[in-house]
Amino acid sequence: MHITGSSLRVIWACLKKDLKSARSEPLYTLVSIILPLNVLVLMSLLVISGGLAPTAVVMQDSGPLAQQFYTAMSQAHSFMLQQATAEQADALIEQGRIVAVVTIPADFDARIRQNQSVAVGVKINNLNTDFTNDIRRALPLSITGFYARAELSVVTITPRERDAYPQDLGYIPFLAVPILVIGLMVGGMVQAGTAAAVEWERETMKELLLSPASRLAILLGKMGAAFLIGLAGAAVVLAFLIAVMGIWPVHWGELIGFTLLILALFTAWGTLLGTWLKRRTPLATLAIGLCVPLFFLSGPFGPISFFAPIEQLVARVFPVYYAIVVLQHAVHDFTLNTSGIGVNVLILAAYTLGGLVLATIVVRRSTLAH
Amino acid sequence: MREEMRQEAPQPYPTETPTVPAIELRALCKAFGTLQAVDHLTLSVEQGEIFGLLGPNGSGKTTTINLISGLATPTSGEVQVMGYDVRRHARRIRQMLGAVPQETALYEELSAWDNLDFHADLFGMARQEKKARITQMLELVQLQERKRSRVSTFSGGMKRRLALARALLHDPHLLYLDEPTLGVDVQSRRAIWDYILSLRDQGKTVLITTNYLEEAQALCERIAILDHGKLIAVDTPEHLKQIYGGSVVELETAQPSAVVDDIRRLPGVKEVIQEGTHMQITTQAGSLVAPQIINLVTGQGELRQIAVREPNLDEIFLRLTGTALRD
Repeated sequence: MHITGSSLRVIWACLKKDLKSARSEPLYTLVSIILPLNVLVLMSLLVISGGLAPTAVVMQDSGPLAQQFYTAMSQAHSFMLQQATAEQADALIEQGRIVAVVTIPADFDARIRQNQSVAVGVKINNLNTDFTNDIRRALPLSITGFYARAELSVVTITPRERDAYPQDLGYIPFLAVPILVIGLMVGGMVQAGTAAAVEWERETMKELLLSPASRLAILLGKMGAAFLIGLAGAAVVLAFLIAVMGIWPVHWGELIGFTLLILALFTAWGTLLGTWLKRRTPLATLAIGLCVPLFFLSGPFGPISFFAPIEQLVARVFPVYYAIVVLQHAVHDFTLNTSGIGVNVLILAAYTLGGLVLATIVVRRSTLAH
Repeated sequence: MREEMRQEAPQPYPTETPTVPAIELRALCKAFGTLQAVDHLTLSVEQGEIFGLLGPNGSGKTTTINLISGLATPTSGEVQVMGYDVRRHARRIRQMLGAVPQETALYEELSAWDNLDFHADLFGMARQEKKARITQMLELVQLQERKRSRVSTFSGGMKRRLALARALLHDPHLLYLDEPTLGVDVQSRRAIWDYILSLRDQGKTVLITTNYLEEAQALCERIAILDHGKLIAVDTPEHLKQIYGGSVVELETAQPSAVVDDIRRLPGVKEVIQEGTHMQITTQAGSLVAPQIINLVTGQGELRQIAVREPNLDEIFLRLTGTALRD
């Protein structure tokens, strides 16, 4: 790419102009900077609220085996448990504040010691089948866990686990990376797209189109400003991940480099959408509307190889997937596909260049219709 | 990509060939779907000329301007600016063109100085020259004291003056002004007119679209009247009046006159409009037919007042397009 001095000057002029415009609207700029953090918090709440089923346990027996059963339930990673009396539990389920009431009967310990069957009462609010199924799956698991841990004279089968990675990773730390990618996506696209669309909305595009300056140089300058503002948003999100969520990246260099690349990618695509749509409202609607389906499509809960082949194919069309792969490596040292990190990085770079080229074509073909 | 990033250095204007028209349109057409916005427009504007494009809303003025500046592509036909084809030399033409669009296209959140500074960078002005030139332009449009104020705090007239300063900043050879004094107070309007007239002395070509016929008459050496994308007439304001106007005879009678039909039958009478005791008669040659009109009117009643005058551009425009300019 041959960049002349005058093109560099146009890039710098456009970057400086957009930063001055951003400074003149501090509230809007502040909202843009905290937008990725907002997405991070929102998505975190979404996955946390969907993760654990609030359940009341009525402990009619306080013996050691009943306590062990309660412990087995708490370790099933499916319940958000609270102990309650029978009356309190009934009131909670009627108020819709819990999904299920599990009643451990008064003769629980005695019957198990006598090798007699025990009926554990389960009352389910089956309004939401997702939570209902969680309860239906988790309770037998709790019983199996209870038998595995209790020193009872029965034959038990216990799994012997060999871990692929040296450390276990919590649900939220794993999810934090895809959520970070979505935050960068929304932040980059909205910031860059808005900066491009506003030129059309306020009719200042005419000043740019009537100038002899290179269209690519104009776009690079505008992208540069959006990138710098997006970078502030990315820094806020990373600080939140580290300081509040306690996630410490394994590869700092990769984290910084990949974050810059991913932000550049979404800045380029935001510029493309902004120049194409020419209006801020559809741009913001599209960027925010895309983030949820792309999040769930791109393997937020595990590798996409766990998905059906068609889902894997669709996921590979979008750069969000590759962004998650490289950042999971940077943050947790996980390798989510067999292509190698270098190939994933090249794909992301190609998407970035593609967005920039397409945006330039759109601007070059832009005419003013009356 | 390589082609895209290569920015041409500002080229000297081809003033060594003054015989080349500043703007030449040949059978220019622009259609938006089924709407023919510009319809086989052929027109030539000479270098150093102040040329007016007049027409009612939707007549194709702005589309024509957009085609000249390369902001729209013609459906067919040719556009040449200073001898350069717009499609092949768009960037070179933009370097030679200064524009004041109707909507001003100013960055309202930035200061007056920042707007001009940005424009100078887009047009590749030399750094040493930039500061002096911006100061000079701000002084010209009397905005030097407000150079650090945000444009959003400016009145409509101040914004238009700033847009004019921006258009002139890179010393363009051809200037296009879309409604240059729209929303400008009378005093500023006169100052802008004086400056536009001085541009002609500097050898610059000015293309103006305006809804003010008074403005067109005061500034333009030639006027083109467009309607429905077609060229209706092109000439100097004086010739247009002679060719399309003739003279207007205005009469005031004591009673509404009953000789209207007789006057219409007189040779050289084009149009008779009667409103109560007032009569307006448009003639081919006022002085020749006036005595006959007086005879007819006085034969029927008392004639209180008579005046013979030239038609104004509004009347010519109305006659040519069938609509008033501000419709």
